[in-house]
Amino acid sequence: MDKSFTINGKEVKVQDFKHQHDTVTFTFEGKNYFYSLISRDGHEMVLDDKGGRFKAAVSTTSRDGETMVIAGGKEAILSDAGKKMKKAGAHAGGLASPMPGKIFKVLKEAGAEVKKGEAILILEAMKMEHSIRSDKDGKVKKIFFQVGQLVQGGVILAEVE
Amino acid sequence: MKIKKILVANRGEIALRVLKTAKEMGIKVVTVFAEDDKHLPHALFADESYSLGSGALSETYLNKAKLIDITKRCGADAIHPGYGFLSENAEFASMVEKAGIIFIGPTADSIILMGDKIGSKNALEKINVPMIPGYHGDDQSDANLAKKAKEIGFPVLIKASAGGGGKGMRIVHQESELVESISGAKSEALKSFSNDKVLIEKYVVNPRHIEVQLMSDTHGNHLHFFERECSIQRRYQKVVEETPAPNMTQELRLKICETAVQISKGINYRGAGTIEFILAPDGHYYFLEMNTRLQVEHPVSEMVTGSDLVKCQILVAQGDKLPYQQSEIKQKGHAIECRIYAEDPDNNFMPTIGMIDTIGVPTLRDVRLDCGFLDGTEVGVNYDPMLAKLVVWGETRELSISKTIHSLDEVLFLGVKTNRDYLKRILGHSEFVAGKTHTHFIPDHKSDLEPKNLTNDNMAALIAAMSFSQKKKAFSSSGIEILTNPWTSLTGFRN
Repeated sequence: MDKSFTINGKEVKVQDFKHQHDTVTFTFEGKNYFYSLISRDGHEMVLDDKGGRFKAAVSTTSRDGETMVIAGGKEAILSDAGKKMKKAGAHAGGLASPMPGKIFKVLKEAGAEVKKGEAILILEAMKMEHSIRSDKDGKVKKIFFQVGQLVQGGVILAEVE
Repeated sequence: MKIKKILVANRGEIALRVLKTAKEMGIKVVTVFAEDDKHLPHALFADESYSLGSGALSETYLNKAKLIDITKRCGADAIHPGYGFLSENAEFASMVEKAGIIFIGPTADSIILMGDKIGSKNALEKINVPMIPGYHGDDQSDANLAKKAKEIGFPVLIKASAGGGGKGMRIVHQESELVESISGAKSEALKSFSNDKVLIEKYVVNPRHIEVQLMSDTHGNHLHFFERECSIQRRYQKVVEETPAPNMTQELRLKICETAVQISKGINYRGAGTIEFILAPDGHYYFLEMNTRLQVEHPVSEMVTGSDLVKCQILVAQGDKLPYQQSEIKQKGHAIECRIYAEDPDNNFMPTIGMIDTIGVPTLRDVRLDCGFLDGTEVGVNYDPMLAKLVVWGETRELSISKTIHSLDEVLFLGVKTNRDYLKRILGHSEFVAGKTHTHFIPDHKSDLEPKNLTNDNMAALIAAMSFSQKKKAFSSSGIEILTNPWTSLTGFRN
């Protein structure tokens, strides 16, 4: 079976994916891979790729279907593309908060012309200020929050059209 | 008077650091916590722990009256302020002492003196501490400014007296550029600050940030615990610190340390302090500032000198003599500290949040992880993003680097994006390995420090790991396994 994943935001496709008992096999970029699970302890496991053994760990808490995976000393954010939920930030024209925080400043009003990269509002989180910048040249359609309001991560803060 | 009970007015790893030494000394420890920190280890592992309530920092960790009130009520004799928060707050230090409680730190007068940039420079100039050469005078004629610039020696920095943020600032490399730069800086200064007064300072190319650890008692003993090299910084925050400083002659090392001790004696300092210097490539060094507290990076000095600086602080605070002579303090081997931050270095060092599934344990000898979190605890938005400090000692600098890189792979902080991989890139960089550190290291090597693309084999291994973990969670319809937090069942554990 063909299967696709996203790794750090990039989609990759594998072929002949099989997961039986403690083995996973697939073909990726023309190469056949065979992995077996040697042991598992909590989040951490030891895998064997026929060439040698390596440690891996997979987070159980995922955000928007994305999971942190560490394997052989490399760390990446993975998601099973089939199961991936729609991300708030992907909303057309919407600018999402990168993390939970507080609206510190609103720099542009609805109707204002903005250039791509221009800051529209400033979010305060983790004791730092983060500029929320326009992703295109256009006009601010709506600002959804006011100064002082608390917002969750991934929430649309403003729309530019 | 022997201290019998200490209240630690801080949180996270530094609260635990103080707790550890106090336990070694047989002293009882009281911690405090904001409600959103109640599951963190500093709130769990002390003899007593009290809630500071919730709300803004001014209501919790910065609430002076509340902290003093708790100290009195629980019968603690002393307050350790840690670093940050109220550690360099003179008003708090004097409030504590007025309440009859020992402040484990310097006198309020020392905090005030060193907190005043201009006042401290004036005081230290009198005892011949090297200051960055400059002209801050009122004669603003072109002829005079040009004369002063030549006296200082090129390159020089011309900046607006009233300024900040790089406005009205010019770096001048040679005399021929001088007249134009002075008039340019003046007109920019006038536009930005309605004041065209400028000052001239020596511009140090590729400066290093070198600091000296000091410790003084109330019996006239002023000791140094050698230097630390802290040049690797991002956004003016230190990322990697080490000691001994690489590429430094023993002669220069002792000279800098002597200068620091001279400052400590000159201001009759008490307790732990750090003098920060700017070191130019030509070996000249200049006073930058003094931090009147225990520093985040103090463990590297402890590792190479075999000392316990928190113990020294407590001894000094209870009026004892320091247990060392200067000649007994020696540097042995090499130590490196990496600050593990919850941040994404590849996305402009943006802070990250999440639940830590597994922290991991370093397994090599002489490796210390000072961490304020436990597996299953949440990293939130309300506090500093530093999760932990990985401190590694090795016989040589080379071994200390390789042991650090190995150990960074063992402390996973699985669940929260950290700068772990970025730290490996810094420590593996050929210029770092060669000891060529300076404060522009991170911006200068920006492209070298970018993440390497994952190879196909890397990606395949990641896919396999994720697939194995998914099989186990087949029961959960959403594909998301919710961990029950073991601490939530501990209601009423402590108030």
